Amino acid sequence: MSLSMASFSPPSTYFSVNPNFAHKSTAFLSLKRPFLLLSTPKSLPDNGAGVSASVAVVEDSKLNQEDPTLEKAVERSSGSNGLALSPEFEVFSKFEDPRWIGGTWDLKQFEQKGSIDWDAVIDAEVRRRKWLQDNPETTSNDDPVVFDTSIIPWWAWMKRFHLPEAELLNGRAAMIGFFMAYLVDSLTGVGVVDQMGNFFCKTLLFVAVSGVLLIRKNEDLDNIKKLIEETTFYDKQWQATWQDDTTSNNN
Amino acid sequence: MSSIAFKPFTGLRRSSAVPCPNPTATLTKPVVKFHVSAAKRSPKLSNRNLRVAIIGGGPAGGSAAETLAKGGIETFLIERKLDNCKPCGGAIPLCMVGEFDLPLDIIDRRVTKMKMISPSNIAVDIGQTLKPHEYIGMVRREVLDAHLRDRAKENGANVINGLFLKMDMPKSWDEPYVLHYTEYDGKVGATGSKSTLEVDAVIGADGANSRVAKAINAGDYEYAIAFQERIKIPDDKMVYYENLAEMYVGDDVSPDFYGWVFPKCDHVAVGTGTVTHKSDIKKFQLATRNRAKDKILGGKIIRVEAHPIPEHPRPRRLSGRVALVGDAAGYVTKCSGEGIYFAAKSGRMCAEAIIEGSQNGKKMVDEGDLRKYLEKWDKTYWPTYKVLDVLQKVFYRSNPAREAFVEMCADEYVQKMTFDSYLYKTVAPGNPLDDLKLAVNTIGSLVRANALRKEMERLNV
Repeated sequence: MSLSMASFSPPSTYFSVNPNFAHKSTAFLSLKRPFLLLSTPKSLPDNGAGVSASVAVVEDSKLNQEDPTLEKAVERSSGSNGLALSPEFEVFSKFEDPRWIGGTWDLKQFEQKGSIDWDAVIDAEVRRRKWLQDNPETTSNDDPVVFDTSIIPWWAWMKRFHLPEAELLNGRAAMIGFFMAYLVDSLTGVGVVDQMGNFFCKTLLFVAVSGVLLIRKNEDLDNIKKLIEETTFYDKQWQATWQDDTTSNNN
Repeated sequence: MSSIAFKPFTGLRRSSAVPCPNPTATLTKPVVKFHVSAAKRSPKLSNRNLRVAIIGGGPAGGSAAETLAKGGIETFLIERKLDNCKPCGGAIPLCMVGEFDLPLDIIDRRVTKMKMISPSNIAVDIGQTLKPHEYIGMVRREVLDAHLRDRAKENGANVINGLFLKMDMPKSWDEPYVLHYTEYDGKVGATGSKSTLEVDAVIGADGANSRVAKAINAGDYEYAIAFQERIKIPDDKMVYYENLAEMYVGDDVSPDFYGWVFPKCDHVAVGTGTVTHKSDIKKFQLATRNRAKDKILGGKIIRVEAHPIPEHPRPRRLSGRVALVGDAAGYVTKCSGEGIYFAAKSGRMCAEAIIEGSQNGKKMVDEGDLRKYLEKWDKTYWPTYKVLDVLQKVFYRSNPAREAFVEMCADEYVQKMTFDSYLYKTVAPGNPLDDLKLAVNTIGSLVRANALRKEMERLNV
């Protein structure tokens, strides 16, 4: 606690110096984060470089984006004067949720009519990760996080993520397939049943299916090209010294 | 047999009359033939041993010098700062202790547990599969480097305190390399005196900013910046790090590497690194300290240090009779950023190739002899480097990939494979059925983590 008090006076100067932090309630929010960062170097007082580095970060720190779980903290701060923050900023940045107990989700609290609502578990974990991505937290030995996504059964993942996309892709494949079959039939007179016996048509079918699977967005074309280049890039870097061997023919 | 041995000998003394059975009409052809075969078969050095200079006295230079000196070569080890505390993680695998006969007292700590921490702070302990005699050794670089150099000196190497400036290339196969360096002669703070040294071969072991590499136009490589702060934490907090090291992954800590807390002799080293966002390194360091905040609370920073780490080998690792080893060649693995063992091993391998090519210092070496070291190195360690490269590409890509990585680390099979490969430097093949299960689990983890990330993005919008 005394640590937080010690870091109290310098932050107030930052508050007055920086004109960007105007009178919005979210401004108090963004100030709290820098205070948190400052408290760390203050606990390591012996190095001027460390403190000045954190100063640079304070100036650069971005304002927090709107986040539903942030509303709790906003309510807490809006009632108070901007400068009188010491007891609150320590608690504020930790992720808190009544269903998050002992470093994992308490599945009993997710029960709906006797069975666990896995969708709600997935939603809760998504919000937790989003929160932590925007506000990285310290890890602590007394409070370890032990949640493992594999406790959510495979069919819950399938239902939520795989099935909608599968529907989409199957729809695309069906449309392309019907259209191509019609086109080939009109051009060559070969019916659907006879097309299946032809090797060229089977190849076309394979290309269509793999195309639908691999290329789902326009960016995927570039991504695939980059991936292929990536797989052999490291090998090329290692071989570079041997290209030299053929040019500088020894002796 | 005697006639064959005779040929190269006469090649050296081209002027003397050769009792050759061929008529003089064909004298021109045999002369040319002798000249070429003499160079190919590295002529004997008369009344002196082969002289080799090693620039840089770190693990690579020290082990190369020891091996060369033991092999009967006249060795010169040029090091600019004999008490240098190289900024380094300081982790050495178990096999290094055995292979290099390291005394156990230079190992400050034996790390037997590691904690991997994901971006959402999911913490996984690894190390349960380690046997009681297995550990990762943490050393102080100044202690290790000095030990290896002293051993080289004991075996007959000449250790010179000097700063390498430049080198004159030889014009022909039997001319020496002339090294220009500033000799400090053990005096601290003195400007030193310019000296030269003539040697037959040079090993560049002078680290990531190698001057030898520049001298032979070895080309550049991409490098990561590793930034580290040594923090003295209170004793009760130090107990937690008694034999445990931590690895933090996440976009906040590093976009393409990891942040770490490694225990040293009486303090911890907290650091991080990056290749692509070097200008944000201080921000990443703060984030790393933030993630470990509770555990290093009350600590005092006693030293701040940074150093480049090569990401891949230089385009040219060898030129003429100059070879690069260690960080100068770029032998740092991806994913873990490990370099000490590979530096020492490559120094030793290069020295062994020189000894073999020169037949214990009796003959002159040429580029072909040094290339044998490159061949052996690439053949032995290429699988290790490639596997780590693939791991880095797959698991350090993005936050979901890192979440999957930490989740996978909880699996016992993964832990066993990882530690076996790390501690003994062999890509252990493992059981195919378990490998298949591992592949399925990996894909599952990656799919789940990416699905969660897609939901996260939807939440933002």
